[in-house]
Amino acid sequence: MATHGAPGGPTSSALYDAATDAFRRWRAGEDAALDELVRTMSPVLWHVVRATGLDREAAEDVVQNTWLTLVRSAESVRDAQAITRWLCTAARREAWRVSKSVTRTRPVEDEVLDARLPVQTSPESEVVTNDEKALLWEALSRLPERCQRLLRIVAWEPRPDYSSVADTLEMPIGSIGPTRRRCLDKLRAELGGSL
Amino acid sequence: MTATDDDLLVAVAGLYADLDPAPADLAEGVLARLAVEDLETEWELLTLVERVDTRAGTRGAAKPETSNTVALEFAGTTYRVLVRIHHTDDGARRLDGWVIPALPMRVFLGPPGDTLGHTRQSAYADRDGRFEFPAPMSGEARLWLLPQNRHGDRIVPPFVTPPFLV
Repeated sequence: MATHGAPGGPTSSALYDAATDAFRRWRAGEDAALDELVRTMSPVLWHVVRATGLDREAAEDVVQNTWLTLVRSAESVRDAQAITRWLCTAARREAWRVSKSVTRTRPVEDEVLDARLPVQTSPESEVVTNDEKALLWEALSRLPERCQRLLRIVAWEPRPDYSSVADTLEMPIGSIGPTRRRCLDKLRAELGGSL
Repeated sequence: MTATDDDLLVAVAGLYADLDPAPADLAEGVLARLAVEDLETEWELLTLVERVDTRAGTRGAAKPETSNTVALEFAGTTYRVLVRIHHTDDGARRLDGWVIPALPMRVFLGPPGDTLGHTRQSAYADRDGRFEFPAPMSGEARLWLLPQNRHGDRIVPPFVTPPFLV
Protein backbone atom coordinates (compact mmCIF):
# COMPACT_ATOMS: atom_id res chain seq x y z
CA MET A 1 0.00 0.00 0.00
CA ALA A 2 1.32 3.42 -0.85
CA THR A 3 1.76 5.77 2.04
CA HIS A 4 3.17 9.12 2.84
CA GLY A 5 4.34 10.76 6.04
CA ALA A 6 2.02 12.44 8.48
CA PRO A 7 1.64 16.14 7.78
CA GLY A 8 2.15 17.09 11.38
CA GLY A 9 -1.17 18.89 11.78
CA PRO A 10 -4.20 17.65 13.64
CA THR A 11 -3.09 14.22 12.52
CA SER A 12 0.33 14.70 13.96
CA SER A 13 2.27 11.94 15.59
CA ALA A 14 0.88 13.05 18.97
CA LEU A 15 -2.66 12.20 17.92
CA TYR A 16 -1.52 9.03 16.22
CA ASP A 17 0.36 7.97 19.35
CA ALA A 18 -2.61 8.82 21.59
CA ALA A 19 -4.91 6.68 19.45
CA THR A 20 -2.47 3.77 19.37
CA ASP A 21 -2.00 3.94 23.12
CA ALA A 22 -5.74 4.13 23.86
CA PHE A 23 -6.46 1.21 21.53
CA ARG A 24 -3.75 -0.89 23.13
CA ARG A 25 -5.10 -0.18 26.63
CA TRP A 26 -8.67 -0.92 25.56
CA ARG A 27 -7.65 -4.26 24.13
CA ALA A 28 -5.75 -5.00 27.32
CA GLY A 29 -8.99 -4.62 29.25
CA GLU A 30 -9.14 -0.95 30.22
CA ASP A 31 -12.73 -0.18 29.26
CA ALA A 32 -12.55 3.59 29.60
CA ALA A 33 -9.76 3.69 27.01
CA LEU A 34 -12.36 3.08 24.30
CA ASP A 35 -14.06 6.36 25.26
CA GLU A 36 -10.69 8.07 24.91
CA LEU A 37 -10.13 6.52 21.51
CA VAL A 38 -13.62 7.60 20.38
CA ARG A 39 -13.03 11.18 21.54
CA THR A 40 -9.59 11.33 19.92
CA MET A 41 -10.45 9.84 16.56
CA SER A 42 -14.07 10.86 15.88
CA PRO A 43 -13.16 14.38 14.67
CA VAL A 44 -10.57 12.89 12.31
CA LEU A 45 -13.13 10.42 10.96
CA TRP A 46 -15.54 13.30 10.49
CA HIS A 47 -13.22 15.06 8.06
CA VAL A 48 -12.30 11.83 6.32
CA VAL A 49 -15.98 11.08 5.76
CA ARG A 50 -17.01 14.61 4.83
CA ALA A 51 -14.25 14.63 2.23
CA THR A 52 -16.16 11.88 0.42
CA GLY A 53 -18.96 14.35 -0.21
CA LEU A 54 -21.59 12.99 2.18
CA ASP A 55 -23.85 15.49 3.93
CA ARG A 56 -23.45 16.15 7.64
CA GLU A 57 -26.26 13.87 8.78
CA ALA A 58 -25.08 10.92 6.71
CA ALA A 59 -21.50 11.59 7.81
CA GLU A 60 -22.49 11.34 11.46
CA ASP A 61 -24.14 7.96 10.81
CA VAL A 62 -21.07 6.73 8.99
CA VAL A 63 -18.82 7.74 11.89
CA GLN A 64 -21.08 5.88 14.31
CA ASN A 65 -21.17 2.78 12.11
CA THR A 66 -17.41 2.81 11.83
CA TRP A 67 -17.10 2.55 15.60
CA LEU A 68 -19.69 -0.24 15.74
CA THR A 69 -17.62 -2.11 13.18
CA LEU A 70 -14.53 -1.68 15.30
CA VAL A 71 -16.21 -2.90 18.46
CA ARG A 72 -17.61 -5.93 16.65
CA SER A 73 -14.36 -6.86 14.97
CA ALA A 74 -11.56 -5.43 17.09
CA GLU A 75 -9.69 -8.72 16.74
CA SER A 76 -9.16 -7.94 13.08
CA VAL A 77 -6.86 -5.05 14.01
CA ARG A 78 -3.72 -7.08 14.44
CA ASP A 79 -1.36 -4.21 14.98
CA ALA A 80 -2.33 -1.44 17.44
CA GLN A 81 -0.20 0.98 15.46
CA ALA A 82 -2.50 0.42 12.51
CA ILE A 83 -5.61 1.58 14.37
CA THR A 84 -5.83 5.08 12.86
CA ARG A 85 -5.50 3.73 9.37
CA TRP A 86 -7.95 0.92 10.10
CA LEU A 87 -10.55 3.41 11.35
CA CYS A 88 -10.08 5.91 8.54
CA THR A 89 -10.18 3.20 5.89
CA ALA A 90 -13.28 1.60 7.41
CA ALA A 91 -14.95 5.03 7.58
CA ARG A 92 -14.09 5.83 4.00
CA ARG A 93 -15.31 2.47 2.73
CA GLU A 94 -18.58 2.83 4.65
CA ALA A 95 -18.97 6.38 3.29
CA TRP A 96 -18.33 5.11 -0.19
CA ARG A 97 -20.93 2.35 0.27
CA VAL A 98 -23.50 4.87 1.55
CA SER A 99 -22.82 7.37 -1.21
CA LYS A 100 -23.20 4.62 -3.81
CA SER A 101 -26.55 3.63 -2.37
CA VAL A 102 -27.91 7.18 -2.49
CA THR A 103 -26.21 7.86 -5.84
CA ARG A 104 -24.83 11.30 -5.65
CA THR A 105 -22.20 10.89 -8.32
CA ARG A 106 -20.63 13.81 -10.04
CA PRO A 107 -20.07 12.88 -13.67
CA VAL A 108 -18.35 16.13 -14.64
CA GLU A 109 -14.63 15.61 -14.98
CA ASP A 110 -12.32 17.82 -13.01
CA GLU A 111 -10.51 18.86 -16.15
CA VAL A 112 -13.76 20.44 -17.33
CA LEU A 113 -14.47 22.01 -13.98
CA ASP A 114 -10.91 23.11 -13.70
CA ALA A 115 -11.25 25.99 -16.11
CA ARG A 116 -14.75 26.99 -15.10
CA LEU A 117 -14.89 26.65 -11.37
CA PRO A 118 -15.96 29.99 -9.97
CA VAL A 119 -14.77 31.26 -6.64
CA GLN A 120 -17.27 29.61 -4.36
CA THR A 121 -19.44 31.76 -2.21
CA SER A 122 -21.27 29.81 0.42
CA PRO A 123 -22.36 30.29 4.01
CA GLU A 124 -19.13 28.56 4.90
CA SER A 125 -17.06 31.36 3.42
CA GLU A 126 -18.72 33.83 5.77
CA VAL A 127 -17.27 31.93 8.67
CA VAL A 128 -13.80 32.78 7.56
CA THR A 129 -12.82 36.00 9.21
CA ASN A 130 -9.13 35.49 9.67
CA ASP A 131 -7.27 37.02 6.69
CA GLU A 132 -4.86 34.18 6.21
CA LYS A 133 -7.68 31.65 6.34
CA ALA A 134 -9.77 33.71 3.94
CA LEU A 135 -6.88 33.67 1.46
CA LEU A 136 -6.45 29.95 1.88
CA TRP A 137 -10.17 29.33 1.44
CA GLU A 138 -10.21 31.36 -1.75
CA ALA A 139 -7.14 29.58 -3.08
CA LEU A 140 -8.56 26.19 -2.19
CA SER A 141 -11.91 27.04 -3.78
CA ARG A 142 -10.18 27.68 -7.08
CA LEU A 143 -8.82 24.12 -7.15
CA PRO A 144 -10.76 21.28 -8.79
CA GLU A 145 -13.16 19.63 -6.38
CA ARG A 146 -11.20 16.39 -6.51
CA CYS A 147 -8.13 18.31 -5.34
CA GLN A 148 -10.07 19.88 -2.50
CA ARG A 149 -11.30 16.49 -1.35
CA LEU A 150 -7.92 14.81 -1.65
CA LEU A 151 -6.19 17.60 0.26
CA ARG A 152 -8.80 17.44 3.00
CA ILE A 153 -8.19 13.71 3.34
CA VAL A 154 -4.40 13.88 3.44
CA ALA A 155 -4.50 16.90 5.75
CA TRP A 156 -6.58 15.01 8.29
CA GLU A 157 -5.40 11.46 7.95
CA PRO A 158 -1.91 10.48 9.01
CA ARG A 159 -1.15 7.64 6.62
CA PRO A 160 -4.07 7.06 4.30
CA ASP A 161 -4.62 3.78 2.57
CA TYR A 162 -4.38 4.90 -1.04
CA SER A 163 -6.54 2.11 -2.42
CA SER A 164 -9.59 3.26 -0.43
CA VAL A 165 -8.81 6.89 -1.27
CA ALA A 166 -8.71 5.88 -4.92
CA ASP A 167 -12.16 4.25 -4.64
CA THR A 168 -13.60 7.31 -2.91
CA LEU A 169 -12.26 9.75 -5.46
CA GLU A 170 -12.86 7.34 -8.33
CA MET A 171 -9.28 7.58 -9.48
CA PRO A 172 -6.69 4.92 -10.32
CA ILE A 173 -4.62 4.12 -7.24
CA GLY A 174 -1.40 4.96 -9.05
CA SER A 175 -2.52 8.52 -9.65
CA ILE A 176 -3.21 9.43 -6.01
CA GLY A 177 0.42 10.27 -5.22
CA PRO A 178 1.01 12.39 -8.35
CA THR A 179 -2.40 14.08 -7.92
CA ARG A 180 -1.59 14.93 -4.31
CA ARG A 181 1.66 16.49 -5.52
CA ARG A 182 -0.11 18.41 -8.30
CA CYS A 183 -2.87 19.65 -5.98
CA LEU A 184 -0.39 20.91 -3.39
CA ASP A 185 1.60 22.68 -6.12
CA LYS A 186 -1.58 24.27 -7.46
CA LEU A 187 -2.57 25.40 -4.01
CA ARG A 188 0.89 26.84 -3.44
CA ALA A 189 0.68 28.68 -6.76
CA GLU A 190 -2.81 30.02 -5.97
CA LEU A 191 -1.56 31.31 -2.67
CA GLY A 192 1.32 33.06 -4.38
CA GLY A 193 3.53 32.89 -1.33
CA SER A 194 0.91 34.38 0.98
CA LEU A 195 1.00 31.52 3.50
CA MET B 1 9.30 31.98 1.84
CA THR B 2 7.41 29.17 0.16
CA ALA B 3 5.19 27.03 2.34
CA THR B 4 6.18 23.38 2.62
CA ASP B 5 3.71 20.59 1.93
CA ASP B 6 3.32 20.05 5.64
CA ASP B 7 2.66 23.77 6.25
CA LEU B 8 -0.05 23.70 3.61
CA LEU B 9 -1.66 20.54 4.94
CA VAL B 10 -1.67 21.83 8.50
CA ALA B 11 -3.34 25.02 7.27
CA VAL B 12 -5.87 23.04 5.20
CA ALA B 13 -6.71 20.82 8.17
CA GLY B 14 -7.22 23.91 10.35
CA LEU B 15 -9.38 25.57 7.71
CA TYR B 16 -11.73 22.59 7.48
CA ALA B 17 -11.84 22.33 11.24
CA ASP B 18 -13.17 25.91 11.24
CA LEU B 19 -15.43 25.71 8.21
CA ASP B 20 -16.98 22.32 8.72
CA PRO B 21 -16.32 21.26 12.28
CA ALA B 22 -17.44 17.92 13.59
CA PRO B 23 -20.68 18.25 15.60
CA ALA B 24 -19.85 19.08 19.22
CA ASP B 25 -21.65 15.95 20.40
CA LEU B 26 -20.21 13.61 17.77
CA ALA B 27 -18.20 11.52 20.21
CA GLU B 28 -21.05 11.45 22.75
CA GLY B 29 -23.39 10.22 20.04
CA VAL B 30 -20.94 7.46 19.17
CA LEU B 31 -20.62 6.39 22.80
CA ALA B 32 -24.40 6.36 23.25
CA ARG B 33 -24.75 4.28 20.10
CA LEU B 34 -22.12 1.81 21.29
CA ALA B 35 -23.94 1.51 24.59
CA VAL B 36 -27.22 0.78 22.81
CA GLU B 37 -25.50 -1.75 20.60
CA ASP B 38 -24.27 -3.52 23.69
CA LEU B 39 -27.74 -3.43 25.16
CA GLU B 40 -29.35 -5.10 22.19
CA THR B 41 -27.98 -8.44 23.28
CA GLU B 42 -29.91 -10.89 25.46
CA TRP B 43 -30.41 -9.66 28.98
CA GLU B 44 -31.10 -11.73 32.01
CA LEU B 45 -33.76 -10.09 34.13
CA LEU B 46 -32.85 -10.13 37.81
CA THR B 47 -35.44 -10.48 40.55
CA LEU B 48 -35.85 -8.22 43.56
CA VAL B 49 -35.28 -10.42 46.60
CA GLU B 50 -35.05 -7.90 49.40
CA ARG B 51 -35.71 -4.26 50.18
CA VAL B 52 -34.67 -2.52 53.41
CA ASP B 53 -35.48 1.11 54.28
CA THR B 54 -33.34 2.79 56.90
CA ARG B 55 -33.96 6.25 58.26
CA ALA B 56 -31.16 7.86 60.24
CA GLY B 57 -30.96 11.21 62.03
CA THR B 58 -28.09 13.21 63.46
CA ARG B 59 -29.14 14.47 66.84
CA GLY B 60 -27.48 17.18 68.85
CA ALA B 61 -26.47 19.23 65.85
CA ALA B 62 -27.74 22.81 65.55
CA LYS B 63 -29.67 21.81 62.49
CA PRO B 64 -30.68 18.17 62.69
CA GLU B 65 -30.38 16.30 59.43
CA THR B 66 -31.96 13.09 58.49
CA SER B 67 -31.13 10.74 55.72
CA ASN B 68 -32.88 7.83 54.19
CA THR B 69 -31.20 4.81 52.69
CA VAL B 70 -32.96 2.20 50.65
CA ALA B 71 -31.07 -1.03 50.17
CA LEU B 72 -32.18 -3.34 47.37
CA GLU B 73 -30.96 -6.77 46.53
CA PHE B 74 -31.47 -8.33 43.15
CA ALA B 75 -30.58 -11.86 42.19
CA GLY B 76 -30.19 -13.83 39.00
CA THR B 77 -28.91 -17.29 38.18
CA THR B 78 -25.26 -16.49 38.84
CA TYR B 79 -25.02 -12.91 40.08
CA ARG B 80 -26.44 -10.78 42.82
CA VAL B 81 -26.57 -7.00 42.73
CA LEU B 82 -26.85 -4.91 45.89
CA VAL B 83 -27.95 -1.33 45.44
CA ARG B 84 -28.05 1.47 47.99
CA ILE B 85 -29.92 4.68 47.32
CA HIS B 86 -29.05 7.36 49.78
CA HIS B 87 -31.24 10.48 50.20
CA THR B 88 -30.59 13.44 52.47
CA ASP B 89 -33.05 16.17 53.49
CA ASP B 90 -31.34 18.73 51.33
CA GLY B 91 -32.37 16.74 48.29
CA ALA B 92 -29.01 15.16 47.51
CA ARG B 93 -29.03 11.60 46.23
CA ARG B 94 -26.38 9.00 45.75
CA LEU B 95 -26.58 5.52 44.36
CA ASP B 96 -23.93 2.90 44.82
CA GLY B 97 -23.79 -0.84 44.65
CA TRP B 98 -21.90 -4.08 44.36
CA VAL B 99 -21.96 -6.99 42.03
CA ILE B 100 -21.35 -10.38 43.62
CA PRO B 101 -19.22 -12.19 42.60
CA ALA B 102 -17.09 -9.19 41.69
CA LEU B 103 -16.59 -8.62 37.99
CA PRO B 104 -15.56 -5.52 36.03
CA MET B 105 -18.71 -4.18 34.42
CA ARG B 106 -20.12 -1.23 32.62
CA VAL B 107 -23.22 -0.14 34.51
CA PHE B 108 -26.00 1.97 33.03
CA LEU B 109 -28.74 3.75 34.95
CA GLY B 110 -31.78 4.97 33.06
CA PRO B 111 -35.56 5.11 32.79
CA PRO B 112 -37.15 1.65 32.35
CA GLY B 113 -38.49 2.28 28.85
CA ASP B 114 -35.37 3.98 27.58
CA THR B 115 -34.49 1.97 24.53
CA LEU B 116 -32.49 4.67 22.82
CA GLY B 117 -29.88 4.90 25.51
CA HIS B 118 -29.47 8.66 25.26
CA THR B 119 -30.69 9.39 28.75
CA ARG B 120 -28.70 6.69 30.44
CA GLN B 121 -25.95 7.47 32.86
CA SER B 122 -23.02 5.14 32.94
CA ALA B 123 -20.37 4.05 35.41
CA TYR B 124 -17.83 1.29 35.69
CA ALA B 125 -17.85 -1.41 38.32
CA ASP B 126 -14.27 -1.95 39.40
CA ARG B 127 -12.51 -5.24 40.05
CA ASP B 128 -14.19 -5.43 43.43
CA GLY B 129 -17.54 -5.16 41.70
CA ARG B 130 -18.30 -1.74 43.20
CA PHE B 131 -19.96 1.04 41.24
CA GLU B 132 -21.32 4.46 42.07
CA PHE B 133 -23.52 7.17 40.63
CA PRO B 134 -22.78 10.29 42.72
CA ALA B 135 -25.68 12.25 41.17
CA PRO B 136 -28.18 9.69 39.88
CA MET B 137 -31.30 10.54 37.92
CA SER B 138 -34.55 10.56 39.91
CA GLY B 139 -37.75 8.62 39.39
CA GLU B 140 -38.32 5.13 38.15
CA ALA B 141 -35.14 3.55 36.87
CA ARG B 142 -33.36 0.31 36.24
CA LEU B 143 -29.76 -0.76 36.06
CA TRP B 144 -28.23 -2.53 33.08
CA LEU B 145 -25.05 -4.39 33.91
CA LEU B 146 -22.76 -5.35 31.12
CA PRO B 147 -19.84 -7.62 32.04
CA GLN B 148 -16.64 -6.55 30.36
CA ASN B 149 -15.77 -9.82 28.72
CA ARG B 150 -12.27 -10.05 27.51
CA HIS B 151 -10.48 -12.39 25.24
CA GLY B 152 -10.08 -15.70 27.01
CA ASP B 153 -12.70 -14.96 29.65
CA ARG B 154 -15.77 -17.06 30.06
CA ILE B 155 -18.56 -15.12 28.33
CA VAL B 156 -20.91 -13.71 30.95
CA PRO B 157 -24.26 -12.52 29.57
CA PRO B 158 -25.45 -9.05 30.60
CA PHE B 159 -28.27 -8.57 33.07
CA VAL B 160 -30.81 -5.94 34.00
CA THR B 161 -32.73 -5.15 37.19
CA PRO B 162 -36.48 -4.71 37.30
CA PRO B 163 -37.58 -1.06 37.65
CA PHE B 164 -37.11 0.58 41.05
CA LEU B 165 -37.53 4.08 42.41
CA VAL B 166 -34.52 6.37 42.85
